[in-house]
Amino acid sequence: MSIYQSSVKKPITTALIYVAIAIIGIFSLTKLSVDLFPDMGENTIMVFTTYPGASAADIENNISKPLENILNSVSDLKHITSNSKENYSIIFLEFEYGIDIDEATNDVRDKLDMVSSALPDDANAPFLFKFSAEDIPIIMLSVQSKESTNALYKILDDKVASPLSRIGGVGTVSISGAPQREVQVYCDPYKLEAYGLTIEGIASVIGFENRNLPLGTMDVGSETYSMRVEGEFKDAYQMNNIVVGSFNGKNIYLRDVAQVKDTVQERIQEVYNNGVRGAMIIIQKQTGANTVDIANKVFEKLPDIKKSLPSDVKIDIIADNSESINNTIDSLIETILIVLILVVVVVLIFLGRWRATFIVAIVIPVSLVASFIYLLVTGNSLNIISLSSLSIAIGMVVDDAIVVLENITTHIERGSKPKSAAIFATSEVSLSVIATTLVLLCVYVPLTMITGVAGIMFQQLGWIVSIVCTVSTIAALSLTPMLSSVMLKNNPSRGMIFGAIYRPIEKTLNALDRGYSHILRWCVRHKTVVITVLLAVFFASLSLMKVIPTEFFPTMDQARLSMKVKLPIGTRVEYSRAFAMDLTNRFKAEYPEITMCNFSVGQPDEDNTFGMLSENGSHIISFNLRLLKKTERERSISEISDALRKDLSEYSEIRTYTVSTGMGGMGGQSSVDVEIYGYDFDLTDKFSNDLRLRMEQVKGCSEVTISREEYTPEIQIDFDREKLAENGLNLTTAGTYVRNRFNGSLASYYREDGEEYNIRVRYAPEFRESIETIENILVYNSQGIGIRIKDLGNVVERLTPPTIVRKDRERMVKVSCIVAKDAVLSELVAATQEQLDQMDIPSEISYDIGGTWEEQQESFGDIITLMFLIVILVYIVMASQFESFTYPFVIMFSIPFAFTGVFVGLAITKTALGIMALIGAMMLIGIVVKNGIVLIDYTILCRERGMNVRDAVVAAGRSRLRPILMTTLTTVLGMVPMAMDKGEGAEMWNSLGMTVAWGLTFSTLVTLVLIPILYGAFAEFGERRKKRIAAKAAKLEIVEK
Amino acid sequence: MKAVFISFYQAFYEEVIEILDQQEIRGFTFWETVQGRGSNTGEPHYGTHAWPTLNSAMMTFVADEKVQPLLKALHKLDVSAEQQGLRAFVMNVEETM
Repeated sequence: MSIYQSSVKKPITTALIYVAIAIIGIFSLTKLSVDLFPDMGENTIMVFTTYPGASAADIENNISKPLENILNSVSDLKHITSNSKENYSIIFLEFEYGIDIDEATNDVRDKLDMVSSALPDDANAPFLFKFSAEDIPIIMLSVQSKESTNALYKILDDKVASPLSRIGGVGTVSISGAPQREVQVYCDPYKLEAYGLTIEGIASVIGFENRNLPLGTMDVGSETYSMRVEGEFKDAYQMNNIVVGSFNGKNIYLRDVAQVKDTVQERIQEVYNNGVRGAMIIIQKQTGANTVDIANKVFEKLPDIKKSLPSDVKIDIIADNSESINNTIDSLIETILIVLILVVVVVLIFLGRWRATFIVAIVIPVSLVASFIYLLVTGNSLNIISLSSLSIAIGMVVDDAIVVLENITTHIERGSKPKSAAIFATSEVSLSVIATTLVLLCVYVPLTMITGVAGIMFQQLGWIVSIVCTVSTIAALSLTPMLSSVMLKNNPSRGMIFGAIYRPIEKTLNALDRGYSHILRWCVRHKTVVITVLLAVFFASLSLMKVIPTEFFPTMDQARLSMKVKLPIGTRVEYSRAFAMDLTNRFKAEYPEITMCNFSVGQPDEDNTFGMLSENGSHIISFNLRLLKKTERERSISEISDALRKDLSEYSEIRTYTVSTGMGGMGGQSSVDVEIYGYDFDLTDKFSNDLRLRMEQVKGCSEVTISREEYTPEIQIDFDREKLAENGLNLTTAGTYVRNRFNGSLASYYREDGEEYNIRVRYAPEFRESIETIENILVYNSQGIGIRIKDLGNVVERLTPPTIVRKDRERMVKVSCIVAKDAVLSELVAATQEQLDQMDIPSEISYDIGGTWEEQQESFGDIITLMFLIVILVYIVMASQFESFTYPFVIMFSIPFAFTGVFVGLAITKTALGIMALIGAMMLIGIVVKNGIVLIDYTILCRERGMNVRDAVVAAGRSRLRPILMTTLTTVLGMVPMAMDKGEGAEMWNSLGMTVAWGLTFSTLVTLVLIPILYGAFAEFGERRKKRIAAKAAKLEIVEK
Repeated sequence: MKAVFISFYQAFYEEVIEILDQQEIRGFTFWETVQGRGSNTGEPHYGTHAWPTLNSAMMTFVADEKVQPLLKALHKLDVSAEQQGLRAFVMNVEETM
C-alpha cells in the first residue's frame, strides 16, 4: 500500500505521527542554543618557545626557522606565521576550517618531538595551545569604587571572579585595572651608601625577620609542649623597627633608610569607565561553549554577587556579546514570522478557500520543526545561517502541497468523493512531485560537501533546505491527502463576506490568465524578436557585473566599537592617561551616540590573561565604546568609526590608531591586507611606508596600518667584562644589582587573612628617574668594596629592532587598509593593485594581497565551481525525468536570467555581492528550474493529449500560470521582508533577500515567455525533421518500387 | 442469466460495490486497473503522463430480472458525476457450470 493510501485510510495514525514530530521539534527548539554563526571550531595552533637571552634575530634563526621548516609539512596547513621577539618565538599554524583540530595537534606534537633535539640547549621545550576566534571575551564588566579602591583586587577576585569562573563553560575571568596589594619598601640610595647598606642586605634581613619558626617539642612533667617563634609581621609598619645594620656602634633601623608603604603595585593597567577610575572584569568562554547560555548564567548570578559587594563598588556592563546575538536572532525570527504570514496570505488569495489554505499552511510548521530536530541532533545552534535557510524554505515547502491539493480539488469537482479523490489524485501527481524535489536535492545536497569557511556556512544551508524539502514532500504525499479527505467537502460554498471580498480577486486572476495567453500567443508568433530582445537584456546585464561591488561579509552593526591608540613609544603612562581623558571628554561631547566609554592604559600584570595576550604598554590606549542601539541612532557604525578616525588623525601626537567595529571575528569591517615579503628590514620598511602614504590618499580607504612595530627605545648597560673581572664581579651580579634597585627585590611575603602579599624592596620612585641614578649604583664585590656602575661600563640609550614576523617561511610586513563606509572591498583591491603597479618594486621584495580578499576569493572560487557542478547534476536529473536532451536544455535558459535579475537588483539597490548573496544565487538555481519544469511538463502533456505545438504551448502556459505565480510569489514575498529589514544584524540577510527576490522575479517573468517560445521552436524543428525523414523514406520507397 | 461488464473510473469502486450489495448480487470478478477510453466523450484513462487516471473493471453474472435495476442504479451513479465515466454492458450467458 502506498504512503498516501495508508495515510488516508488511517487518518488518526497519520495525524498523530505529525503531532509527534511537532512535539519533538518544539522540544528541540527549546533546547537549541543561540549563536550568531554556525560553530567554526578551532583552526589555529600556537607553538610557543622560549630561549632566554636571545635577540629577535637569534630567535628567528635558531628557533622560528627550524620549527617552521618541520611544521610546514603538517597536513591541511594553510598558513604558517611566526613572531620572533626577544627571548621567545610564537608560531601560528593556521589550518583549513572544518578539519579535526585534535588530529592536527597530535601531528604538530609529533613534528615538534622530531625537531626538539635540533634546538639550542638553553631553549625550553616548545609548548602548544589551540586558539580560535572564540577566545574573544564574551562579557566585559566595568567596576567603579571609591573607598574600596585599594582592596578592589581582593574584593573582585574573591567575590566576583571566583564565583563567575565556577559557572560551567566560563573559561577565564581576568581582572584588569584593579591593582594588587603590595608592601613597598622605598630606600634612599644616599642613606644606604652612607650606612654601607644594600638593597639585597635589607631584603634578606626582612626575609629573616618575617618568619614563623617551629622549634620542636618539650616535655614538661606529664605534658608535651610544642615550641614556636612567631616572628611574622602582624602589621606591615612593624617593619619600620627592624634593625638592618649598625653604624658606629649604633643600630640602624629600617625607618632610618627607607619608607615602608602598605599600598598597591606600582605599574598596572589602569582602567577608566566614562572618565572614572575603576576596574574591568573580562570573561572569556571555554572553546565550544555557547555564548548566550553562559551570558545568561552570568547575568543570573550577577545580582547575588552585587549584593555581596561593599556598597561603594558598582558593577556595570561594558560589552555583552550575547545581547547583540539575541537581538540579531530576534529580529530574524520576527522576519520569519512576517514571511510565514505573507506566504499564507498568498496561498489564500490564489486558492480562495480557507480549508485549502489551512491544509497547505500546516505543512510549513511541520517541515520547519523537522529542521529543529536536525539542528539539535547535530549539535548546531539557531544562527543567522540556519534561520535564513528556514526563511527561504518557507516559500518552497508549500509548493508540493499546493500541487497535490490542486489535483485533489479538481477530482472532487469532477464528482469524486473526497476520500477516493485524495488517494487517486495524489497518486497521479506523486511522481512529478518527487521529481521536482529531486531536482532541489541536486542543488542543496552538494552544498553540504563544501569545505573551508564557506563550507561551514553552506553545509548548514544545504542540510536544512534538503531536510525541509524532503519532509515537506513526504507531508504533501501523506498529510495533505489525509487532511483533504477529512476536511474538503463535495460542494464547497463560500461564506457571504469572504465571497464578496474574494470576487474581485478572482476577476483579476482571470483577467491575468487571459492577458498572459494573449501575450504568449503574440510571442510565439514573433519568436525572433522576443529572443533577440531577451538576449540583448542578458548581455547588457553582464556589463553590470563591473558596477556591482563585491564583499565577503557585510559589516554588522553591533553598537560597539573598539579603538587602539598608540602614542610614541616610551610615552609615560601619566601622559597617556591624560591624553585618553581628553579624548574621552571630546568623544562624549561630540558623539551623543556613545553611551559608555571605557579605556585602559598601561601594562597589565601577569594574572590578567586577556591583557597579556593583547597588545599593551604605557603608550597604548585601548578604548571600548558602547553605542546606542542601531535603531535608536541616525549614524551607522561605519559613519561613526570613520568620523572617529578623522578626529584621531587630527592629533599629531598619535603615532597610529585603529578603529574596529564589533569585537573581531566575522562581521567586522573588511580590510585589504598587502603582505610584503622580503628579508631586508630597511627595504621592506621603506616600501611599506611608501605604500601606506599612497593608500592614505586613495578614496574608499579609511585607515592604513603597518603591522611591523617601531623600533623600541631602550636603556642598555654595556658592561666592560675586563673591568668586571678586575673587580671580582661578573655580568649577572652587576645586572642583578640594577634590577633589584629598579624592579625591586622580592624580600618576603606579608600574610594577612590567609592571603600573601609581596614585600618589595627598591629605590624610592624619585631615585628612579634618571640615567645618573643607574650610573651611581654601587655594586659590592666579595671584598665588600663598592664600585659604581659607571666604572664598570656604559649606560646607553638604544633602539631595539621590532618583532620579526614571518609568514609562510619568509619575513613579512603587512599593510592593512580598512574599507571606508560606502566603499567596497573589490574597488579597494583594484585601487591597491593600481598603486602597487605604479610603485617601483625592488627585486628582493614580493607582495601578495591577502586579508578578507583572500578568503573571499577562495570561497567565491569554491562556490562558482560548485554552481557548475549543480547545474550539471540538475541537467542530469531533468534529462532522465523527461527522457530528453533538449527539454532540460530549454529549461536551463531560465538560470542565466535569474542572474540577470540578481545583477539588476544589486546594481539598483547598490548592494554588494557577498557570501550571503551567493547563497541566494545558489538557491535560485533550484527554484527557477522548478518553474521551467512545471511549464514544460504540462506542455508535453498537452502535446501527448494530441494538441499541436503552438496550441500546447499556449494552453500549458495558461493553465500553469497560477501555480507558477503562486509558488514564485510565496518565495519572493518571503524574501521581501528579509531584503527590507532594518533591524539589528539585518545587514547580514539583506543581500540574500535582495538576490532571491530580484533574481526569482526576473527569471520567472522571462521563464513565462522564453521557455514556451524556445520549447515551441525546438519542438517544431523536431516535427519538421521527423516529417522530412518520413518524406525521404516515402520517396525512397517510391524509387525502390 | 446475463453477464454485466462494468467499466468505471477507479474512484467509483466503493460506490459500485455498494450498488451490488443493495441489489443483492454476490458474485463478481474485479480488475483493479484497466486502461480504456470512451467511444464518444470523456477523457481517456491510460495511467500515462498525459492521461494519468486509470479505470477499473468488473464483471458480474446476474439473473435476468436483476439486470434492469442494476443498470438503473449504475446510471444514477454515472449521472451524479458524469466526468468520471462509468459504463455497463450486458451480454448473454450461454451456459454455466
